[in-house]
Amino acid sequence: MSSEDSVKQPQTQLSPQEEQEKLLDEALQVVKVQSFQMKRCLDKTKLMDGLKHASNMLSELRTSMLTPKSYYELYMAISDELRHLEIYLCDEFQKGRKVADLYELVQYAGNIIPRLYLLITVGVVYIKSNESCRKDILKDLVEMCRGVQHPLRGLFLRNYLLQMTRNSLPDCPPNEDPEPVKEGEVEIRSGDIKDSIDFILLNFAEMNKLWVRMQHQGHTRDREKREKERQELRILVGTNLVRLSQLEEVNIQRYQKLVLPGILEQVVSCKDAIAQEYLMECIIQVFPDEFHLQTLNPFLRSCAELHASVNVKNIIIALVDRLALFAHRDDGPGIPNDIQLFDIFSQQVATVTQARQDMPTEDIVSLQVSLINLALKCYPEKIQYVDKVLETTVEIFNKLNLEQFLENSSAVSKELSRLLKIPIDSYNNVLTVLELKHFAPLFEYFDYDSRKNMSIYVVNNCLEHGTEIPMAEQTDQILQLVSSLVQDQADQPQEEPDPEDFSEEQNLMGRFMSLLNSDNPDQQYMILNSARKHFGNGGNKRIKFTLPPLVFSAFRLAFRYKEMSEEDDKWEKKCQKIFQFCHQTISALIKAEYSELPLRLFLQGALACGEVGFENYETVAYEFMSQAFSLYEDEISDSKAQLAAITLIIATFERMSCFGEENHEPLRTQCALAASKLLKKPDQCRGVSICSHLFWSGKTREGEGTEMNGEASPERGEPKELQDGKRVMECLKKGLRIANQCMDKSVQVQLFIEILNRYIFFYEKGNEAVNVQVLNQLIEKIREDLPELDSSEEMDQINKHFQNTIEHLRLRQTSPESEGPSYQGLEI
Amino acid sequence: MAEENPVADTRRLAAKKQTLDDAYAAPANFLEIDVLNPETHLMGKKRYTDYEVRMRTNLPVFKMKESSVRRRYSDFEWLRDELERNSKVVVPPLPGKAWKRQLPFRGDDGIFEDEFIEERRQGLEAFINKIAGHPLAQNERCLHMFLQEPTLDKSYVPGQIRNT
Repeated sequence: MSSEDSVKQPQTQLSPQEEQEKLLDEALQVVKVQSFQMKRCLDKTKLMDGLKHASNMLSELRTSMLTPKSYYELYMAISDELRHLEIYLCDEFQKGRKVADLYELVQYAGNIIPRLYLLITVGVVYIKSNESCRKDILKDLVEMCRGVQHPLRGLFLRNYLLQMTRNSLPDCPPNEDPEPVKEGEVEIRSGDIKDSIDFILLNFAEMNKLWVRMQHQGHTRDREKREKERQELRILVGTNLVRLSQLEEVNIQRYQKLVLPGILEQVVSCKDAIAQEYLMECIIQVFPDEFHLQTLNPFLRSCAELHASVNVKNIIIALVDRLALFAHRDDGPGIPNDIQLFDIFSQQVATVTQARQDMPTEDIVSLQVSLINLALKCYPEKIQYVDKVLETTVEIFNKLNLEQFLENSSAVSKELSRLLKIPIDSYNNVLTVLELKHFAPLFEYFDYDSRKNMSIYVVNNCLEHGTEIPMAEQTDQILQLVSSLVQDQADQPQEEPDPEDFSEEQNLMGRFMSLLNSDNPDQQYMILNSARKHFGNGGNKRIKFTLPPLVFSAFRLAFRYKEMSEEDDKWEKKCQKIFQFCHQTISALIKAEYSELPLRLFLQGALACGEVGFENYETVAYEFMSQAFSLYEDEISDSKAQLAAITLIIATFERMSCFGEENHEPLRTQCALAASKLLKKPDQCRGVSICSHLFWSGKTREGEGTEMNGEASPERGEPKELQDGKRVMECLKKGLRIANQCMDKSVQVQLFIEILNRYIFFYEKGNEAVNVQVLNQLIEKIREDLPELDSSEEMDQINKHFQNTIEHLRLRQTSPESEGPSYQGLEI
Repeated sequence: MAEENPVADTRRLAAKKQTLDDAYAAPANFLEIDVLNPETHLMGKKRYTDYEVRMRTNLPVFKMKESSVRRRYSDFEWLRDELERNSKVVVPPLPGKAWKRQLPFRGDDGIFEDEFIEERRQGLEAFINKIAGHPLAQNERCLHMFLQEPTLDKSYVPGQIRNT
């Protein structure tokens, strides 16, 4: 067995950790004692004795019993003590007291560990005092360390070599034209940068060899522990690379020709995953980005050759991210023009993925993510690069021959989502995203949930950044892209979606519609048509959210045309088309069995129509009102809904001023009829009372009016209020009659007070059919009935209402308005 | 002498450069033998315990790089006797025969006690590892048969393995 074996016997009673501590303590104790002796001898200039103690101290490093952590502590303690020896010797050499053949002397140490540590220490002293032997000594030291083949001891020994020589490595260019050696003189061999590179590369190769060999030590069952220990020691190997990077004469050329090839040769040949993963990342971190830019091809080619279990993706991503940062730095030189960074990476990544057949798909996609980041950071104007990455991704998926969609929770799906979100977030402009030809095809690989989530992401991005969609073609594209929000999908799950989520999504689409906006009205019309096609196919549940905003958009467009009427002589025909479009759209809602919604939309349309005032608008408005009535009659059956609906119809109609008498009259009559047909008496009373306003402030246009064949009259006068006082009274009197038929006294009184208020309203408006007697009569009736009511909260409210009314009259009486009618004779 | 610049004598013998394959190859000295899974078979007088002897190695001298056989104590004794008779190996001691435990009227299960079996297992493991690591023993046919043949043919012809 090797002479390096320690003679210590292991203890058996203590836990492994306690045992380690004990061993370490014992060793450190020896170190303390021997180093003290060593220093004492050196103080007395007894060098040989001092070396003997140093040797004893170094013998502690011969142990096989310590874990790497403990060995490291021991090593550090001894290295510290050896500095005393080094300083002593340097002093002696400087003072001229050089010991003869010291270099050979220390090689007489009996055991190899003390021998080599001392040799290194002495060798460095020689170099520091006389540069001319530097080259030979360095070469000798790095070769002699081969004597220790035990992985742990060898690694630390070579680390000692590296640390001791850190300021002694020649860092000058080679002398092209050396002077010939004169006779009798010793050749000066102080070495140059090439020698330093050789030195470090050899040390690195040997250290890597020992480090890799560690995996074969010990029992199979301890493999995990060994791997952990190897990780603890990795910095020892990496320090070689750091040292290389610190040499100033290692410029780009030498890096390309000598340094990197030397490193990569070891990394690839060792075929060890732990070493490869660490060292490749070490290279990236330790050497400057300018060097990496010039050596991308060899580096990436080596990536393809790494052990199958190495996570190559992380290495490449680390490099890409670093270079992207470098490119982005404001104060940096940026990427040189002659380096087609994107092309190089694109190609090499493809090579790597081809070479590694069992790379999981999500890792391949991760690589595409880093490429896309590279494209966006380094070449932000080149959209085609981003598209190229997406194209590659499509090809990847094609090769996979997927039978089904990517499951939402799978790693691949997540990576693909990540990939697609990057251009969205980067451009913050969905129009640019639409220019990426291969963006939409990638959506097709997702399953339903992912498609929906991505669609929501896209729409949210538009809304957050207010990205307007100004062209019909783009509208078409984008609604196609987010079709999972717009229409039912073949792979939609069978069960009903959560109603809250569903309405949130659809509201999102509704809001999105406000972004469909072009400056050119004709283009806007085309946009609306495109949107209509998509949303129209959304199914009954969706259209109630999506078609109304569309209709309102159309109304707005009509107003825009009206504003531009000077510039566009076809504006009236276009408005007509728009309202046809609205009619059709609202009808789609009726087909889907909605009633209140289309009713409101028709009323809104009628109003809008009246205000835009294009050719034939009266016909269209009339049609819209009739449709509203049909809906009312056919579809609205709930009595509460009926009251609300008819009130809305009447109120809308009251505001309209586009009808001539010929059209106004039948509509008026319909309103009154519908009101009187309400089922419940109170509703009837109220409905009929409201109708009274139609006869007063309802407006008609004078003049010929529109023939029913649609021809407009050339002369349209200003709209005029009907102010038919008699008919108003008829309505209100009818209301009173109906109120009298109510069984519930409190309801009755309430209705009386309401009608009273209406009387007052019309009286003040100047309706001559309303006079003070009428008012007095009603007031008296109310005063009679009020006390008979049961007291309750409701009663209080009714009372309050009446008191307020009376108060109003009182005020008017005592300080009458100059223009209002007089309340003379009013009995309050 | 003390005034001159000291010249270090760095002359060495020239050594052949190691190839990359050699440098990173797994060392051909891997030998791991585990003695495990003791099982007690049969009943009454014929009762006995045997152990799995599992070997993993990359030593060229062994035909199979992985093997697993079942051996009982008497098989180990046979191996020891063969080696003592036929080779110059100084054979390490086996764990004890435990005669006392085989006497009747014991309060416990004698040689079938779990503690005893574990103690014996450890001893057998230490024994076989020492033997198999010995270069002289590695040449003996009896060792190869013991480690890698399913059954021991006690009427074999003793001798040494010829390296092919």
